[in-house]
Amino acid sequence: MALGSALRRLTLFDRYLVVIFALLVVVSFLFPFSKQPGARVVVDADHRTVYTAPLNENRTFEVSGPLGDTRLTIENGAVRVLSSPCPQKICIGMGEAHQAGDLLACVPNRIVIRVEGQAEGESYDLLSR
Amino acid sequence: MFSRPWALILLVLLVALVFWQRFSTEKSQLSRTALLMGTLVEIQANGDDRELLETAVTDAIAEMSRLEQLFSTHIPQSEINRLSDAGTLQVSIETAELLTLGQQIARSSQGAFDMCLGNLKRLWDIESQAPKTPSEKELREALRGIGPESLQIEGRQVTKQTESLRIDLGGIAKGYAVDRAVEILRAAGVLSAAVNAGGDIRLLGYRQGQPWRIGIQHPRQNGEVIATLMLQDRAVVTSGDYERYFEVEGTRYHHLFDPQTGRPARGCQSVTVVAADAASADALATAAFVLGPQKGLALLEQMPEVEGFLIAADGSRLTTSGLEDFLEWH
Repeated sequence: MALGSALRRLTLFDRYLVVIFALLVVVSFLFPFSKQPGARVVVDADHRTVYTAPLNENRTFEVSGPLGDTRLTIENGAVRVLSSPCPQKICIGMGEAHQAGDLLACVPNRIVIRVEGQAEGESYDLLSR
Repeated sequence: MFSRPWALILLVLLVALVFWQRFSTEKSQLSRTALLMGTLVEIQANGDDRELLETAVTDAIAEMSRLEQLFSTHIPQSEINRLSDAGTLQVSIETAELLTLGQQIARSSQGAFDMCLGNLKRLWDIESQAPKTPSEKELREALRGIGPESLQIEGRQVTKQTESLRIDLGGIAKGYAVDRAVEILRAAGVLSAAVNAGGDIRLLGYRQGQPWRIGIQHPRQNGEVIATLMLQDRAVVTSGDYERYFEVEGTRYHHLFDPQTGRPARGCQSVTVVAADAASADALATAAFVLGPQKGLALLEQMPEVEGFLIAADGSRLTTSGLEDFLEWH
């Protein structure tokens, strides 16, 4: 009753406003404004960003550090280190990074690889390894 | 505006709330990385005051860098190397505090955690391009004088009981630095943050009003998560045989050495410890790994405010009694 009475008191302008607001709410849930799914790979060498690429495009590339070139590959929505001039190859052993916030690093070669942007179905905020 | 029907006013408020929720968290998240202490350090901080977050995170990273200068064995003039060279040294408050905690855990674990394995680690040289498997004689020599009583600590005065001993704080220093970083953030007024140094994690408060979800690396499936922990205001550290190792004729030689034998401990694939502070979690994860599944679990059970789980060498899982509520296996 109260709702019916309230709706009757709405002017045409009010009704347009209601429709626009309702659409905005729906759209805000359907489309993430802030971060796009299909995140990006960002590579820093010695504190400078030297390479970025979308995570959904397969490619292989190299980044130079003080020890030489670290070879990276993006494949099937994940990035990993293929080869590295560092002695222990821990960066290769770290495996893949695929969700937002995932990090890989080659400490001796001063290279940090991170995934930015929000992918669907993230299962954790931080990884303990 | 207030002559409009209440439904319209309510709708405006609802829209404002939805947009505030969707955008406010974006503005208030800050994440920084740094290569420190031989690993990748990441600090995430959440809050409304961006300037405060920037200053606090910068200060926290600076503090970790300062501690690296004290504790690193790779820096010739570090305090730890000077103590190893000198035999007796008046150390900083931080070093004394760390050594005291380490000695307590060494005693609790009956020597499974040991801070004097510097000679053993040099002998294996597991981080070099040509690590080697030492002979029994070399191992015996490298282990001479180690044990929970190998250091005498009186206030800030530290004395090695055996001249040849070399101190190595791998397995506790990273955790301690993480704790100090969290204290800097807390003192600056940050209410929600996470400090992660190569998997040694300490959490401050909640993340967007919810517990943090901490994925735990599967020890045998690269890139897979074996479990998720839901935590706040806790430290989580995982030690595993997959982190640093080399293989000879199918045998894996990793970096978690049993002080009794001088060889890599074989009882576990990985150990995850949840504790109030990262330094304790770090050292206890190493100790439990070395002790193996049954004794390691018993050690974690006997420590106050400590929980954890162990993945044994055969893949079986052992969990402390108080962890079930926070743990989800994958």
